[in-house]
Amino acid sequence: MRSLDVTKTAFSNTLRSKMRTFLTVIAIFIGAFALTLTSGLGAGINQTVDRIFGGFGEDDVIYVVPQIEADATDQDGPPEYDPDAAANMDSGFGTGMLTAEDIETIENTEHITSVSAEVAAQIEYVETAEGGQYQAQFDFALNDALAEVAAGATPDRGAMEIAVPEDWASIYDTDDPEDLVGESLTIAAPNAVGQLTEIEVEISGVLHGTLAGVGFQPIPSVALAEEVAEINLEGYEGQVSEGYIMAAAEVENLEENEEAVKAALTDEGFWPMTLEDQIGMFETLIDAITWILSGFALIALLAASFGIVNTLLMSVQERTREIGLMKALGMSSGKVFGLFSMEAVLIGVMGSLLGIGLGLATGFVADAFLTAEDGPLGGFAELSLFGLNPLAIGGIFLLIVLIAFLAGTLPAARAAKKDPIEALRYE
Amino acid sequence: MSTPVLETENLVKVYGRGPAAFHALKGLTFEINRGESVAIVGKSGSGKSTLMHLLALLDEPTSGVVALDGKPVTKLKPKVVSGLRNATFGFVFQQFFLNPNQTVLENVTLPLKIAGVSKSERNERGMAALEQLEMADKAKNKATDLSGGQKQRVCIARALINNPEVLFADEPTGNLDTATSETVEDILFGLHRDHGITLVVVTHDEDLAAKCQRRLIMQDGQIVEEQTGASTAPPTAAQAPAASGEPSQPKPATRRRLMKFGKGGAR
Ligand SMILES: Nc1ncnc2c1ncn2[C@@H]1O[C@H](COP(=O)(O)OP(=O)(O)OP(=O)(O)O)[C@@H](O)[C@H]1O
Ligand SMILES: [Mg+2]
Repeated sequence: MRSLDVTKTAFSNTLRSKMRTFLTVIAIFIGAFALTLTSGLGAGINQTVDRIFGGFGEDDVIYVVPQIEADATDQDGPPEYDPDAAANMDSGFGTGMLTAEDIETIENTEHITSVSAEVAAQIEYVETAEGGQYQAQFDFALNDALAEVAAGATPDRGAMEIAVPEDWASIYDTDDPEDLVGESLTIAAPNAVGQLTEIEVEISGVLHGTLAGVGFQPIPSVALAEEVAEINLEGYEGQVSEGYIMAAAEVENLEENEEAVKAALTDEGFWPMTLEDQIGMFETLIDAITWILSGFALIALLAASFGIVNTLLMSVQERTREIGLMKALGMSSGKVFGLFSMEAVLIGVMGSLLGIGLGLATGFVADAFLTAEDGPLGGFAELSLFGLNPLAIGGIFLLIVLIAFLAGTLPAARAAKKDPIEALRYE
Repeated sequence: MSTPVLETENLVKVYGRGPAAFHALKGLTFEINRGESVAIVGKSGSGKSTLMHLLALLDEPTSGVVALDGKPVTKLKPKVVSGLRNATFGFVFQQFFLNPNQTVLENVTLPLKIAGVSKSERNERGMAALEQLEMADKAKNKATDLSGGQKQRVCIARALINNPEVLFADEPTGNLDTATSETVEDILFGLHRDHGITLVVVTHDEDLAAKCQRRLIMQDGQIVEEQTGASTAPPTAAQAPAASGEPSQPKPATRRRLMKFGKGGAR
């Protein structure tokens, strides 16, 4: 029997009991549909992450934060107070801050050309030229690298500038972010005893909110953040311990020196990460979630595969005589096996094509609807919840066909084993 | 004389095991010559179908040998045996065994489909076979739409489609009325006569058996008698031993039949 004839015969056999085939296909369809949605969701979010960080991939910067000691969470009760701790410690262990000494250590590490440090800067309010006062908090100055601008530019690190979120346009009574660029803004910074100092700054740009959480708060320039931090510490009685939240170290030829710099910094008790590492962490998390969701879809498929076994076993039983006839007329056991396996495969193909097709359609329509300008998740310009990953789709298709084939082997083997004489006697 | 198309030696078939074992065939040795028409007759349960299944390579004997064209087939691989069945034999089963959901033409061409013949050639040869049996006008009908006699003719067309050397028919007229039976008999013997096909017919039907050149009469798993010629009368003492001893030698009675049927057995 030719392969084409096997396929055609198998196909017409699946259409013989349409209702039964339909129900079996439905079960496969559900699995395929769910797998397509979960993989599409993972692909979409990963694409979003890529897009967010994509523009900054070439940055030769390693971000450094203090290492969190692994056993910090294991200790019994809080550690005893040591008044000299902040000043004496080499790195900011325990305080979660980098000291000035740490910054120096980082600066002196080989291959590092310059370091910018992030200070903690508190502000009370911001005031527009018209006199309206608004509550606000600074984002990290070093997050300027992650920001996406709707108008203007990110603040010049050395100048007294600030970039504000897009929705701040409303306080300037405008819809066009361009109108905000160049406006002045007054920042009120409190000192240790609550007295306010006002600093006038210029708006350098307007920010889009990104999924990395950047752009929803104003980003000051490094100079502005340092100025505010200094004001914050004014009037502080006693020892002032300078603290930095994070340091961004410029590395010469990052690609080549990454490992060495990272190893050196780790030895010094820091936790160095490149932008890529951060993206990697994100994507690992997203992949993990995708896999878990796909696991549920796989369970659905597993259940569906038993549907195939059941359907085909019934079919083999019903067609005992036909099988006997085919064998009597000289069809080999192998071909009988092939015929019934092909039926299982065809059920798998039908279910997966339907499921993948409808899954993709549903995914893209839902994505378009949810992330539309006025949709429920419309605020994020670069957000996509669903993406096409041809490799994953191909993999899903093959996986389902494979599962269907495996499910078909038991009934197919049973059909192949039938003795023609007994099968022809079967009433 | 050429080698017999089919021969058996000490053929034994035992169903079941131990105390429940049933000896359906108890050591049969005989030959069927090319172009011969042979009827296997006997009481119900005497082992006729069992014997036919063994001859047609549908079943394996418990012991003994079946040889096709002088070559023992008992030790062949299943796949080779399947191929032989497909290429060498035609079957008309006691029941029709037509696939109800397929057309007459599809049913008739099933052996060719199994053989891997292309669709266009299948249909061509299928139509030719149906024409031969005057069933061409029903080619596109569903198999279920036919009368009993028409179905039997479709079965014969299916059995002939691959130009078999041997045609096995198990009770081909078993569930047909007398008139239709006669038509079917005419067709079978016409093929035997015109195409030199070897005919092996299992039957209860005296008339049908009488038309065969040779009759193997079975009882309790043994061939108790062998008759040649058209006569249904008990064989003479001289005929029976001669027939079982040297079956390849045509008897005078056989010759007489040959004259009547024409060129059939002379090949
Ligand atoms: N699979 C089997 N298991 C046990 N016994 C069997 C089996 N097949 C056949 N037999 C027995 O073998 C004997 C011969 O059966 P067979 O079918 O050859 O008879 P038959 O001569 O064709 O009868 P009929 O004319 O009624 O068709 C019977 O007694 C039957 O019961
Ligand atoms: Mg019988």
